[in-house]
Amino acid sequence: MSRNRTAALRGAAALLSLALAATACASEKATGGAQPSASAGGDGVKTGPGVTADTITLSLLTDLTGPYASFGKSLTQAQQLYFEQINTAGGICGRKIETIVRDHGYDPQKAMASYTEVSPKTAAIPQFIGSPMVTALKAKITGDKILTIPMAWATGLLGSEAIQVTGTTYDIDMINAVDYLVKEKGIKAGDKIGHLYFEGDYGESALAGSKFASEKLGLELVEQKIKATDQDMTAQVAAFKKAGIKAALVSVGPRQTASLVGVALAGGMDVPFVGSNSAYSPQLLATPAAPALLKDFTYVTAGAPISAPLPAYQKLITDYQAKYAGQTLDSGVAAGWTAAIIVGDALRKACEAKDLSREGIIAAHRGQKAWEAGLGGEPQDFSAFDRPASRASYVVKPDKQAVGGAVILKEAAVSDLAKEYSVPAAG
Amino acid sequence: MSRLITWAAVLVAFVAVPFYLEGFWLQTGLFAMSAAVGAIGINLLTGATGQLSMGHAFFLAVGAYAYVSFSDDLGLPTPIAAVLAVLLAGVAGGLFSPIAGRLRGAYLGIATLALIFGGQHLLFNVEHVTGGFNGRAVPPLEIFGFAFADAPELILMNVPFGALERLWFLGGALLLLAALFARGVLRGRPGRAMNTIRDHEIAAGVMGVPVTRYRAGAFVLSSMYGGLAGVMLALVFQRTVPDYFGILLSLDYLAMIVIGGLGSVGGAVIGAVFVSLLPQLLTRYSDALPLVSAPGSGGVSPAEAARLLYGAAVVGVVLFLPGGLLGLLRSLRLRLPSLPTPLPDTRSSHVS
Amino acid sequence: MITFIELLVNGISIGAVYALIALGFVIIFKATEVVNFAHASLLLAGGYVVARLHPYVGFWLALLIGIAAAAVVGALVEFLVIRRSKAANHSVLAIVTIGVDIVLTTELTRRIGTEVLAMGDPWESGVVHLGPITIAQTRIAALVVAALLITAFLLAFKFTGWGVAMRATAEDPETAALMGVRLGRVSLSAWAVAGGLAAVAALFLCVFPTPGLDRSSSLAALKAFPAAILGGLDSTTGALVGGLVVGVTEALMTGYQNDLAFLGRGIGDVAPFLVMIVILLLRPAGLFGTKELARV
Repeated sequence: MSRNRTAALRGAAALLSLALAATACASEKATGGAQPSASAGGDGVKTGPGVTADTITLSLLTDLTGPYASFGKSLTQAQQLYFEQINTAGGICGRKIETIVRDHGYDPQKAMASYTEVSPKTAAIPQFIGSPMVTALKAKITGDKILTIPMAWATGLLGSEAIQVTGTTYDIDMINAVDYLVKEKGIKAGDKIGHLYFEGDYGESALAGSKFASEKLGLELVEQKIKATDQDMTAQVAAFKKAGIKAALVSVGPRQTASLVGVALAGGMDVPFVGSNSAYSPQLLATPAAPALLKDFTYVTAGAPISAPLPAYQKLITDYQAKYAGQTLDSGVAAGWTAAIIVGDALRKACEAKDLSREGIIAAHRGQKAWEAGLGGEPQDFSAFDRPASRASYVVKPDKQAVGGAVILKEAAVSDLAKEYSVPAAG
Repeated sequence: MSRLITWAAVLVAFVAVPFYLEGFWLQTGLFAMSAAVGAIGINLLTGATGQLSMGHAFFLAVGAYAYVSFSDDLGLPTPIAAVLAVLLAGVAGGLFSPIAGRLRGAYLGIATLALIFGGQHLLFNVEHVTGGFNGRAVPPLEIFGFAFADAPELILMNVPFGALERLWFLGGALLLLAALFARGVLRGRPGRAMNTIRDHEIAAGVMGVPVTRYRAGAFVLSSMYGGLAGVMLALVFQRTVPDYFGILLSLDYLAMIVIGGLGSVGGAVIGAVFVSLLPQLLTRYSDALPLVSAPGSGGVSPAEAARLLYGAAVVGVVLFLPGGLLGLLRSLRLRLPSLPTPLPDTRSSHVS
Repeated sequence: MITFIELLVNGISIGAVYALIALGFVIIFKATEVVNFAHASLLLAGGYVVARLHPYVGFWLALLIGIAAAAVVGALVEFLVIRRSKAANHSVLAIVTIGVDIVLTTELTRRIGTEVLAMGDPWESGVVHLGPITIAQTRIAALVVAALLITAFLLAFKFTGWGVAMRATAEDPETAALMGVRLGRVSLSAWAVAGGLAAVAALFLCVFPTPGLDRSSSLAALKAFPAAILGGLDSTTGALVGGLVVGVTEALMTGYQNDLAFLGRGIGDVAPFLVMIVILLLRPAGLFGTKELARV
């Protein structure tokens, strides 16, 4: 037996060395460690991973089956529409745009698997849903130098050269929201305001802003944290009522917003509610919560609502409805469109500089100090990556007649508080 | 002899993988290895001893976070931190065993749900240890100066060896050790005692099996396997995220052991590989599959198809393959005697 | 004090809805000893049918069809899966319901897609003022309906042939079968009844104060687990009490969250599970559950 085993082991060792010897010539991975990345194409443009002589590959890492499915669908369709239009117009840098869509269903492990799969063949990521996912991959994305637009606005996503949070972060929005409450809704020092927020980076980033602003303005903040699985806000309303709040901030999902505002109004708590940009969705206007939302709810956002009287959006509405007839034009359409243009512009700039390598794309992107694409809002500054690109928020209110179910109430503005707010260092 | 050759071939294939396959496959494989370790653990508890646990994800979380905290906060060398993390997961299981010892069947299953909800509450709220919602970065493991990370650069046979390639071998070794140990437990005296407890607890007691001690022991051991799976997962992820350690992860583990085959090491491994690989394969090859449409185009998307198949597999296995996939492989081998199988023959009894 | 009463009333009314779900668990467990993890999908199925049909046939008819549909789905699960599974181990049966749940929930959420479906109920967002306290009409309806249904089942268990058969089966299936109880029929009817109850619960979970049915609605079924367990898995009274305990605990802990900040934010969701653990430590079979006695 023992002799048999020795023989077998020897055989195994021989086989092993044979296999390894074969490796050296057969494996595509056997590059000797040299980076195949940067090389110049026939047109004198330096290319990197994801860019060939006639295509540029972009990856959309989205959520089509998880909690943010409706948002993910709008984002993905808007971005595919944009890149199709680019391709019909001849592409960028003489190259067609190809998109890879991967649905991670808001699961960090699947998101990571998708990222590992697509990252070697990707030039940029115009959409990556979910701050837990992007946070988990932040170090990798930074190391891989892939320009990535997260579809989340948590403060913790700042601080990486490769990751571009569009517009404001949640905390800035909430500071502007408190400012709006004080200036226009008669809230004054000593008053109590409520903040209902989700557990997790979205809610807690927003909370950082409301804490800062209420401290500066002498307001007392009444916090209520909930989980995404909570549906019925009756107990939260009772707690707010008990505290005697004069206004409430809302950094939760659309369902919880509807419940909160509906219950509050029905119970006689007729106060202004101001939400983060992810707290509202036009689908709510088809539910019994609609009257309450129309009466008391507004939300703050860096991106103009799609109903804004801007030619760029009017064209988007026509094109989107032509392609995806009958589908809701929610904030995802505008957000996805904006992010797609940001990536498109970075690629064009990189092409002008004859450098479509990943480093080249990021450098081209970061070279823009006042980016503007006729989509409303203040010009965005992409040159610094540890600060939000913008500090101006619109105040927007629900509207049944408007496309996308919301209209501008107050034009984009930066509050003084938001100007002096320094973003906490990312962890 | 023929078995040894089979094993040698498996070994060669295993060693060759990181030289050929790209990162995506290595990562998927590593997730499967970590899942396999965790599944072996829960199979000891639920499959072999008959204690339904829905709290397995909690022990993975303990392992993952403890590793980070021990190595970063206390500054311990990473291998020691890893060992302590596994032990701590065992302690956590031990602390729960007064409750586990008093409860049976469904009561125990639902009581362990409290671990998941309570655990996630802690993960989100004890921020100085867990990093709150942001989670924490995981320091790479370093054994005798050899780091399981992308840097410093290492090139073997012209193939660049990054973190995934290095972890591949560590994961394989840990899985092998975990599997051998569990097999020893199951085949020996403790395994027989555990199976007797599962099949008839009172009879086991009458025959002189110290029931309470064995039940607590199985809980502790399974928690340690969970902790080890958590450490492995953390090393692959390079970041711990609290959202991950929820009820769905626990349910996945239960599904794994049912699909693979209850009560055996091989069953746990097969189930873990099946459950980890299925969604990845479907997503990756969605373009080539019939009936599965591109994400967002309105039909059944790859992620949904994976969920449907996965749910159907659980139901189908219970209905048609009482021994799980392992039982199926075994019966195939009985019919085709010449077909070698790379599975360890665990000879343990499983639920009929 | 007003806040306390308001929280208490709201806790009781949401607790009544949890009790309906828990009652379904208990009935299934009594008849088949299966812990039904597929309950969430039965809930979703019932709610989905009501939400889709009410624009065409009116709310009440839609509700009836929804209840019937969920009952049929429940019965089908029993007939196609539970009955046919050869596993003797009840843990395996519990796990197989997880598989059923995954399949049903995936398909239903795919159909619901990204919509929020209104239930078309007659109460809408109306409230009733009792002095300084306001209660949603839907919640009063939930309380009344749950109380009626639960009483009806308590009576049915005591006085109808079906109830006797059910109790006999729970006591000792083999003896019951020998006495002429058709086990298949008992178990089928138990699953159907549980499905119907889940549909009623779905209605009340998806009307005001929540905006409607969407893909996440079924998650509320998770709250019925501690409810069913802490009352005692084989006790209908236990389901009622358990539901109320969970509802009230959750409401009070959330309402007084600010005074309990040291426990961490969001304690309201965890509290029912902590209460469950404490009760199980004291009474391993729940408050009203039958203690398993073994004669050797």
